[in-house]
Amino acid sequence: MNSPISSPSSFRSGAGGAALELRGVSKTYPGGVHAVRNADLAVFPGEIHALCGENGAGKTTLASIAAGKLKASAGTVLAHGNVGLVHQHFELVDRLRVWENVVLGYEPHRGLRLDATAAHERVVALSQEYGLAVDPDAIVENLPVGIAQRVELLRELARNPSVLILDEPTAVLAPAEIDALFATVRALAERGTAVLIITHKLQEVISHTSRITVMRAGEVVAHFETADTTVDEIARAMVGGELPKLATRVETNLKPALVLRGLTAGESSFAVRDATFDVEGGEIVGIAGVEGNGQSALADAIAGVIPYQGSIELAGATLPAGDPAGRIARGIRTIPQDRRREALVLTWSIVENVALGDQRRPPLCRGINLNREAERALAKSIVERFDVRTPSIEASVAALSGGNQQKVVVGRALAHDPKFLLVYQPTRGIDVGAAALVQSRLIEARNAGVAVLLISFELDEILALCDRVLVMYRGAIVGNFTRGAIDRGRIGSLMAGASALGAAS
Amino acid sequence: MSGLQDFVMLTLVKAAPLIFAALAGVICERAGILNIALEGQLTVGAFTAVAVSFATGSPLLGLLAGVLAGALVGMLLGVAATRFGVDQIVAGTGINLLAVGGAAFGLTVVFGQPGASSEVPALGSTGENVLIAFAFVAALLLHVALYKTPWGLRTRASGENPRAVRSAGVDPRTVRLIATALGGALAGLGGVYLSLGELDLYSDGMTAGRGFIALAAVIFGRWTPFGATGAALGFGALAALQFVLQRTGVPSELMQALPYLAALAALTGIAGRARAPQSDGVPYTE
Amino acid sequence: MIRALGIAGALVAIAAGAMLLAGANPIMGFYALFEGALGGKSQIAETLVQTTSLLFPSLAVAFAFRAGLFNIGAEGQLIIGGLLAGLIGARLDAPGFIAIPILLIAGAAGGALWSSIAGLLRARFGGSEVIATLMLNIVAALLANYLVVGPLHSPGAAGPETAELPHGSWLPTLLPGTRLSLALPIALVLALVLRYLFDRTVFGYELRAAGSAPEAARRAGINLAKTAFIAMALSGAMAGLGGATIVTGVLHRFNVSLSPGYGFIAIAVALVGDLDPLKIIIASFAFGILQSGALTMQALAQVPKDVVSFVEGLAILALAARRFVAERLRVQPAE
Repeated sequence: MNSPISSPSSFRSGAGGAALELRGVSKTYPGGVHAVRNADLAVFPGEIHALCGENGAGKTTLASIAAGKLKASAGTVLAHGNVGLVHQHFELVDRLRVWENVVLGYEPHRGLRLDATAAHERVVALSQEYGLAVDPDAIVENLPVGIAQRVELLRELARNPSVLILDEPTAVLAPAEIDALFATVRALAERGTAVLIITHKLQEVISHTSRITVMRAGEVVAHFETADTTVDEIARAMVGGELPKLATRVETNLKPALVLRGLTAGESSFAVRDATFDVEGGEIVGIAGVEGNGQSALADAIAGVIPYQGSIELAGATLPAGDPAGRIARGIRTIPQDRRREALVLTWSIVENVALGDQRRPPLCRGINLNREAERALAKSIVERFDVRTPSIEASVAALSGGNQQKVVVGRALAHDPKFLLVYQPTRGIDVGAAALVQSRLIEARNAGVAVLLISFELDEILALCDRVLVMYRGAIVGNFTRGAIDRGRIGSLMAGASALGAAS
Repeated sequence: MSGLQDFVMLTLVKAAPLIFAALAGVICERAGILNIALEGQLTVGAFTAVAVSFATGSPLLGLLAGVLAGALVGMLLGVAATRFGVDQIVAGTGINLLAVGGAAFGLTVVFGQPGASSEVPALGSTGENVLIAFAFVAALLLHVALYKTPWGLRTRASGENPRAVRSAGVDPRTVRLIATALGGALAGLGGVYLSLGELDLYSDGMTAGRGFIALAAVIFGRWTPFGATGAALGFGALAALQFVLQRTGVPSELMQALPYLAALAALTGIAGRARAPQSDGVPYTE
Repeated sequence: MIRALGIAGALVAIAAGAMLLAGANPIMGFYALFEGALGGKSQIAETLVQTTSLLFPSLAVAFAFRAGLFNIGAEGQLIIGGLLAGLIGARLDAPGFIAIPILLIAGAAGGALWSSIAGLLRARFGGSEVIATLMLNIVAALLANYLVVGPLHSPGAAGPETAELPHGSWLPTLLPGTRLSLALPIALVLALVLRYLFDRTVFGYELRAAGSAPEAARRAGINLAKTAFIAMALSGAMAGLGGATIVTGVLHRFNVSLSPGYGFIAIAVALVGDLDPLKIIIASFAFGILQSGALTMQALAQVPKDVVSFVEGLAILALAARRFVAERLRVQPAE
């Protein structure tokens, strides 16, 4: 099922008038990894073009090549004019001001001196022209994420690009901000800019774009006219087949497990305030919300790595603050947000990584020594049960794909019969197959009586997995929905800050 | 008040090389390079100045050579760190060893004797005073350059987030390389002051850890040119104090140790928690 | 492997160039270097002495590196360790089997104490151990100078040194007529112990985790501050022990110049040895050849011995390229 689906002739290379054209572009890294293979892409002035694909499909690499930030190993890139690129993870200098960031590299100057006044004026002018309100003197690190994105957008727009590429622009935005962003994008397209949006949010693709290119495993596999296709068809092209199904949920008997009372932790706008809720054994409770509303502080407090006020109890016993080791001993396991930094030691093998967290507990330790046989046995068991694709358990985890790395992390968390599982963005940056496996395992754990708290920025994931949904906004829990009473629209409004009155329970 | 006047003069004399080295430290760290090779750059500047002055009879040529040598050694650090992925601390340590060994070796080659050079044509007391004044001018120039020019903006940005600089279309590695060259030049000038300004010869170990005191001055000075200069003046005053207290029972080693102890104290955050540039010491790779 | 040989070749060429510059014959120079280092039993013994003096601080530096810490202060820790051993040893009159362990332990304790200052600053205040250890190096030299010339001056001593240790407190020699002592086997055993520690023990596992992935280690329940502190202390202890062996085994007294920069050369040795205790033994031997051959090179071929430190500095630069960064694997941004 790998043949491209319907290619109208206008997509074939050589079409006149394209603002951006990639022909036969490939990118191979030393070691033989093909990030991109023989890709063709054409973006025309005035269109909003979506580039879709799973994580790891090569979209960001292709975008970097298109913007001239990365050199292709083969193929040609033709761009008529500047190509601007707004990154998924902003590349701004946090400690400098907005105007300094916007003019960086193209600073207005009088002789040797920086012309700060001219720079200010330039920012204000751009800001008005594109309808992106910013305070030129604000320090970037103090800005909320949606405003910071505008700064990076302005920086790119200052170069008067004929092509603008946006990489996952709505991942960090609330619904209202997403609407504002697309209004800006539409205005840009109307002025003749060619816009390429990299996204996996298919609903947005259907609503706002005119053409779609799908990538899978480094290759371009399909083109669509948005008007003629559906979310399902795009998703199937992205995955190359039917979407994998999740495990089924069963009836469970709820048992008291984790109780939070008045939990307050974290700093300033990223703090969690006065959170009170519980998670019972045999259910998955989800925390819905846009990134940056206190979820990380909540997760870190539960994991025991930051100080907090209020209390956390597991099965009636209060947990001491700042004690990750104690939590592990009591059966609390976490699947952190950033597996490469927070869950794995990349230079180590799978064998050594599976012992992390349990290295002081028999059978993984024997006296002062590690028990290598036990480590190996555990690694083998996880690799089998979680379908980790690797040549050997002694292979370094750095060589594994994101999905396989995550499977190791999840396998390790589930290996010692946990009582409570804190899961933070479990399917970030992994392919759909691995994501489905991870999600299924979470459901199976829930079926077996584990209490699961799922924090995710993907509302679809929350709705697919959770028995109850809480909404976080600005550090507070503002909504509480049981599965039967889930109202997607209401949850979306709460995520964006609508008042909490009338929340269903 | 001749005593006070003498004390102030002595402070300035002692502070001048520290100011040069501290300013060098500020430039480099602001760009993101933790330069622990200041000691080696001082050494190379001091020795080269003396050697060239000896060979050509011109202390001015010696000065130029010393500055150039410092810049080259600075660039060695920059190239090692930005192009070859050598860890900055490790590279700095290597350069210090290289410089000290090279200078000692050079003594034998140029002067035929180890330990110290012969006396060479020097800058005299006028030259010495000019250099001292220039130290303050340099601080002012660096302040203006860092905060009021595009170069300064790019340099500060490179020390905070080199990726952002890259996506703005500027190569942070080049920015860092330029910073290490300029820093090396300044440190080299500090070395020239030691050998041709204050004295008229070079001797083994004459830099006496000033390159490390300068690092402390950068921290105290919160990575700003004026702050580092102020801290360097403070350390200079401590050194001057040592002469005054020599006749009392205070051990000279204690006085000599004061700048380093002060730096240790600064690490506890007593001097306030100013933050180093975010990418200070962090390598940037593409 | 080819790259390593290439680098070695380049260094040899540069060294030869430097020798020519000094008006000496490079062939004579290299011959004198190796003759002086390996030309006979007593020469080899002296080379092994240098090897041992390098091995202790190199293991110390590598140990700290594995735990994610830069110990640039091995020189100062070595001095303090030697200082304590010398001060106590000059005044202690006891049979060897009591005195020697006391002095060695004192040396280790002194080194540990010294590095713990940096360790504390890092664990408690988050202060950079790079700056701290650099500063402490100089303070150590000043302190040693002060004590040994001033208040703790021994009557029998001339210059910045202690009186000679009583013969009972000397480390037994392995080869009569040379300075090669029990220090070498002690160092070798230490290397083996460290290798075992890293590979097989839980403590070594936690240390490596803290060094390679501090955030993951923290969430796995590893106490980063405590681990860093212990690692610094142990590292200092090893360097201090090295200083004590120089005092009891080589010089038989403490002298402020007991180290020609072993603590700094150790950084090169640790890197060349890939931070692996067994490879570090070999690397220490290679650098030991350089150190002990240098004096002969100077005497016989009129090549200034400083060419050696010059080349050692270059070696650090050349060898560290790529290797060290890969070791630490600074995490690349999102896939």
